[in-house]
Formats: sequence, structure tokens, C-alpha cells
Amino acid sequence: MSNASDAPLGGPTGGAALPLEGIRVIELGYGIAAPVAARNLAQFGADVIRVESVRKPDSLRVSGAGWVPRDFDPAVRLDTMPALNFSCAGKRSVALEIDDDEGYAVLVRLVAGADVFVTNMSADVLPRLRLTYDDLRAHRPDLVYMSMPPFGDERSPYRTYRTWGQNLSAISGIDRMIGWPDRDPVQLGFAYPDYVSAQAGTMAVVAALDRRDDTGAGCNIELSQYEMALAAIAPNILGGQLHPDAAGAESNGNRADGVAPQGVYPCRGRDRWVAVTVADDTAWAGLVTVAGLTHLDEARFATLEARQSAHDHLDAELSAWSSGRTDWEAAEELQHAGVMASPVFDAWDLLGDHHLAAREAFRVLPHPRFGADLVFGQAAVMSETQPRFATAAPSIGEHTRPVLRDVGLGDDEIDALVGRGIVHEMGSPDVTLERPYAHWIHTLMRLPWPPASFDPAELFMARLAAPAERAGGGAGA
Amino acid sequence: MTGSGPMQGTRVLDLTDASLAHVGRLLVDLGADVVLVEPPGGGPARLDTARFAALAAGKRSLTLDTTARDGADLFDRLAARADVALLTPGDADPAHALHRAHPQLVITAVTPYGLRGPRRRWTGSDLTAWASGGVLPSVGDPDRAPLSPAGGLALFTAATNAAMATALALRARRRTGRGQIVDISLQEAVMSVALEAGPYAVMETPAAPQERTGMRRSTPPIGQYRTSDGAVSIVAYMPWQWEALARWIAEETGNDEVLLDAFAGTPAARSPFVELIDTWVEDLTGRYTKQAFFEEAQRRGIPASPVNSVADLADDPHLAATDAWQFVDDPRLGPLRYPRPPIRFDGDAGTVGAVPEVGEHTDEILRELGVAGDQIEALRSTGAV
Repeated sequence: MSNASDAPLGGPTGGAALPLEGIRVIELGYGIAAPVAARNLAQFGADVIRVESVRKPDSLRVSGAGWVPRDFDPAVRLDTMPALNFSCAGKRSVALEIDDDEGYAVLVRLVAGADVFVTNMSADVLPRLRLTYDDLRAHRPDLVYMSMPPFGDERSPYRTYRTWGQNLSAISGIDRMIGWPDRDPVQLGFAYPDYVSAQAGTMAVVAALDRRDDTGAGCNIELSQYEMALAAIAPNILGGQLHPDAAGAESNGNRADGVAPQGVYPCRGRDRWVAVTVADDTAWAGLVTVAGLTHLDEARFATLEARQSAHDHLDAELSAWSSGRTDWEAAEELQHAGVMASPVFDAWDLLGDHHLAAREAFRVLPHPRFGADLVFGQAAVMSETQPRFATAAPSIGEHTRPVLRDVGLGDDEIDALVGRGIVHEMGSPDVTLERPYAHWIHTLMRLPWPPASFDPAELFMARLAAPAERAGGGAGA
Repeated sequence: MTGSGPMQGTRVLDLTDASLAHVGRLLVDLGADVVLVEPPGGGPARLDTARFAALAAGKRSLTLDTTARDGADLFDRLAARADVALLTPGDADPAHALHRAHPQLVITAVTPYGLRGPRRRWTGSDLTAWASGGVLPSVGDPDRAPLSPAGGLALFTAATNAAMATALALRARRRTGRGQIVDISLQEAVMSVALEAGPYAVMETPAAPQERTGMRRSTPPIGQYRTSDGAVSIVAYMPWQWEALARWIAEETGNDEVLLDAFAGTPAARSPFVELIDTWVEDLTGRYTKQAFFEEAQRRGIPASPVNSVADLADDPHLAATDAWQFVDDPRLGPLRYPRPPIRFDGDAGTVGAVPEVGEHTDEILRELGVAGDQIEALRSTGAV
């Protein structure tokens, strides 16, 4: 695909309210699927209250950042995982133990005042915790309720099963399609089914809210993450039935049906690569005009079938060509000739990418522990509706008191619940931290970031400038 | 779709090519009326039979020669009463022209890098989208090039983001009365599923480079382990999940060392012993088939799953027990097993609709527009429809 538009998109046309302004969401999520769906709702205007347990915290809270010592103040550690900013930006956090009767009563008050409830707990847990659609709509008849378990349905033999996203991508057939034909399959280091479930789940909730506005009726939305992964590969599932002998359903390196050559080729530098897709004969005709590749302008490579049978040879030719260039040089030369190509970005390349900076794909937003922290904006970009980027992830329990006051609890009642360990407020609120990489990001992204208290590069330069001091301080070398 | 989806009554014009046909299919599953606008004779998306069968199901087909004057007029009348237009990228500035002509439309465009920004003119594929997403350096084997996920998964997450944004733009229109342009970048769509293995991973441990570790991570046990008939995926991440796995290894293989405190805790604590741990785990997994290991691991509270091929899915007990397949006898393709729509509304997932013939719904759609029968014949004779 290509895009020939030069015109910029229009900016926001004045102070129109966000589409979910006035909607209150209660989220009981773990990990990615329900939390990210609720984060989307928050960024488009909803007031999202994340109800979290301190006794059994979210997996992203339990892990904490790798650099925080294991024996560090646990209340602080729970706020340090960077990915929490992806799953929870813009939400308020209420720390509440809902498996306790008094805690459950508080949750019910929250739900009674809410429009939407979102959870991704397993199907067998919801009835036990009295969190089914029927349980909750007794308190809010027009509730839009979404459950997104890994394996939905009371009929499932897997209904009690616990999985991470990587398990779901393995069982659904996604992982088996990745790999070299002569090697073991490889694993994906990210939970693909969780994220696409979150995006589709957000869509479902928004559409159900529209219908509620029209009819007054709430909705019971059930989204099984396993089935969502199958929806992603539905073309492959049908392909396997229509062409049972074709290679399409099995791993084939970086090649794909219908295009050739396609691959990832080495470039100058350590672990630098360029990804190339020659989509059709026109693109091939462009490729053979590129300096260093003109000798491939031969009739024997003019058709897709010919290039497919010569794929190994063409891979070797492209590798030899790309090895003498940087990844950016190679990609730009190929794009100029009308060939689909991209450098293989690593994580730091994304953070320093001027294109993503122009689209404001990353933001630095206020954070209760770090002063400010890095948040990925939104892949859902619109010309007029600008998402709300207010805050990074909340501290666990940061908003317990104001939210409980808001549903009618007095301070003495809240104090009593805190005393009994049923609700919790933000722990050690006076402790603030600094991420060890703050300077790198600041330099790389040229984003506003709080002033650093120390700069490793400056310290290093200072040591170079003071040899006597270095001799005294460098005994460990 | 016949069901109780909440987007019933929403009119969508689907102008996408095969790569983005998922967007309209997601909206079909929510109950929207999605009209596939094809050139006379049918669009090129039909050439990939399996993809078309999967993603055109439930859509209506209208053939229209928009390069002919009558055809362009008809398209204009269709657009005037539509809510959403799903664009195929590649034409010159179609989004803005359409927005000016029909300000009520939500216009959804998916492009490799989005409609604005320095790389907006770059072209791309599913592979180059993955390459631009910051995660490939950690997928694959250490001695070879990075590997990309297959199966069009970048295009699918672009589609879920596009459908989500389309729903949000329709809701925004309720307040403003105006449509707008949805601008989905494939690069950002990949980032929306993979940042945990990109920036958020290096931000957690800045000194560690992204590295390819093949079928498993260097923090065990996370990844795939060989069984007697393939492999299982194990993620024993929480300390108690490791304890359950270690107890099972000890019981079954007689290995007591695995229970030592030195190996307890989170996966990072076991990284120095990765080869040892992986060997011990495969001592156990190798004694089972992937499905038998899966069921016993789950009984013991260990997150695990079989590494299925697409063909294996036909035998999965969950999919059989939950009525997850819909069996269709397609008049041209024969019997097909479709995955049902993945979202249920009030207990109803709806059903997968039929794959439309070329122009199958042209007459009924033109009648809905108020075009009389003899006019339709006239249009047909000029080749406009």
C-alpha cells in the first residue's frame, strides 16, 4: 500500500467534548487486555476508576522495575514498572479488597454510579466473586458490561485455565507460523492476543454506549481472547482448508505468499537490518534501477514465479548490496525507487524517530512517583478528536479517598476500612524516584523532562577532567 | 451478520483492498451494513480466495465504475447517505476530497506511516510494518536475521485500531454533527501491540540490548519446550507458578535439586541457570504430548498451552465444546469451517454471513438509493454498474 497525500490533517476544530466525556468506567483488570481497553476509554474522555487489590496486585505491579531492589518499600515498588504507563495512563486508582464483604459493598456502590464495567478475570472466577453481568446489573440496570477472559464460556473445558498472552498466541496457531523452515519455531516476546482484544473490546463498548443512548438498554459483552486471536488469522484458517498442501500455514522465515523477494537483509553496523518487500512486477522494475542492483535487470527475474524460484539467489544478491549501506540508506534508496522497505527499528530507534516525534506518538506526562514518565500516545489518531493525555499511570490507591467520598462514604468510614485493611491509600506518598534512563530519553527525544539531579555523562566528563580524583576513586577497576 | 450487534443501522462503504478488508469485517460482526464497492467484474481482492472468503463474509457487493460519470454520481449519492467510508490507500488525497464533499462521513484510512509526518509517502507491507515497530530485534534466532510474525498480524492490529477509532469518531459525531478523518499508521499499530518487548523492555533494564533467544527467553521458564509431538508454551512467571512446576519436575523425574531455594522467585532470578532449568523442564515436557501436558499443567496451576498449528485447531476441545466453529457450505468453495464472530452481545455472537458474488447486491442497493428499475437497466447498459 502507499499513500501519496501531501496535505496535513486539520487540527481540532475548537473545544468539542471528547466522545466519552461524562462516562464513568469501573475496571477490574489484570495485565493487559481489560486494562488497555479501559485506558483507551480514559484517553477518549471517560473517568476510569481502576479497582486494584494490594493483597494480590496486578502482574505488572508485582514485577516492579528490574532496577528497584527486591527489598525496597513494597508500596513504592508496585508503581515502578514502565509498562504500567501503557496499561493504566489517565486512570484513577482505588485500592480495594473485593473478596471481602465490606469491600464488595464498596465496589457495588462504585458500579451503581458507573456506566461501564470491564474485567478480564477468568470465566470461573466471576461467579465466585459475584461479578457476573447479572450480579452487577442488579445495581445498575443499564450497565454496559464487558468480560474478556482468555477462554470465555461456561461450557469450556478450559474455563478454569490461567494463561498469559504468550500462551494464547501459541494455542491459537499464531506462534507456529513464525520461524525458519529448518528450525524450531520461535516465541513472540509480547502478548499479541491481549492487545488486539483490548482494541476490539474498546470498539464494542463504544458501540454499545451509542446503542444505550438510543434504546436505554445496557449490554453484556463477552469477548474471548482465544477467539479474538482466531479472528486475526481467519484467512489462514480458511486457507488451510482450501489449500491443505500449501506452505502458507507453516513457518517460512520472512517470506510470504504472493510477493518475492521479501526478506530482512544485513546492513552496516552491529545487528542492523533492512526489511524489503517486492510486492509486484512494477516494484521489481523499480528495484533494478537502484545503484548496485541494476545487474538484476534480467528477463529471467521479470515474473513473480521466476523470482520465487530464484528466491535464495535474490536474497544473497540483496544481502551483498545492503551490507555496504546503513539500514537508513538502504531503505531510503529502495523507497525512492518505489519498493517497500524499512529499517528494522530497535526500541531506541523508536524513541529517537523524528517521524514519530512529528506525530507526537510519545508523551511525557505527570507521574505520582517519578514527577513525569514516558507514555505511548494512541494508535487511534483522528483529525478532530484529540485524545486526552492527562497523566501517566496512577500510584496504587492514589485516588481511594476522593473516589470513595464521591460515592458517599465519610472520612471516618474510610478510615475504618483502611484500618481493617479492606481499602488502602497510596503508600509512602513522600517517596519519589528517578528512572535511571531519564537523561537518555531526554536527550534522544528532546522532550520536556524534569531537570535531572545527576547526569552520568557529566560525572564522567568531570572525572576525565580531574585525573587525581579519578585515581583515588577508580580503585575498583 | 444476523445477530444483536450494536452497530445495526450504521452504513459503511468499504473501498479497501485485500490488505485492509479486516476493518469492514470487524464492523460487519458488530451489525453494520458494509457495502463492498467493487469495479465491474470484481475487485483484485477476490484473487486471494481464502482471504476474500474470510473477510468479505457478510458484506454486500456493489459494482460501480467510478471513472464513468454516472458511476461517480452514484458513488456521490451513496456517500451522502453513508456513515463511514473505509479507504484504500494509494489514490491522490482521497481522504480530504471525500471529507470536503461529505462532511458527515467518518473516513477511515490506514497507511504505512499515517497521513502526516515526514514518512507519510513511504510505502509498506506487513513485513515492513513489523520492521518499523521496534520489536523485531528480539524475535528469532541469535545467528540469523530477525524474524517477522506471519499471517498479516500487523494488518489485523491496524484493523482493530481502525475499527475502534471509527466507533469513537461515530460517537464524537453524535455531539458535533461532523465526521472526520481517522488516520491509522501501521507503524503505530504495531507499537500498540509490541511496546512491552520494545521501549518498555529497554526502559526497565536500559543496559540490556534487545536480543534474539529463539524459542525461549533467557529468563526461564518462559517460552516453548519440546514435547513428544511438538511443543508447549510455558510462562511460569509468578513465584508460585515456578514452585508448582518445580514440584512436578521433582515428582516425575526424581530431580530434587530443582526444589532448591537458589532457583526460587521470579524468572530473572533463574537467568544464571538458564541452560540447567531448560534441560530440567524438557526432561518433563518430553514425556507428554502437548495437549496432555497442557491439561496436567493447568490442573497444577501452571500457565501453559500447546503450540498449535492452524490444522490442530480443528481438534481443540474448547472450540468444539463452545460452538466456536460455524460450518458453511459455500456454493463455489465447498464446505468450510469458519471461526464464529469473537464478540457476543447479550449472549449472541451472530453468524458469519455469505460471501457475496460480484455485484450480487447492486440492484437492491440502487433501489435503496431511490434509483428506479428502468434507470438501473440504463446504467447497466452504459457500464456504470
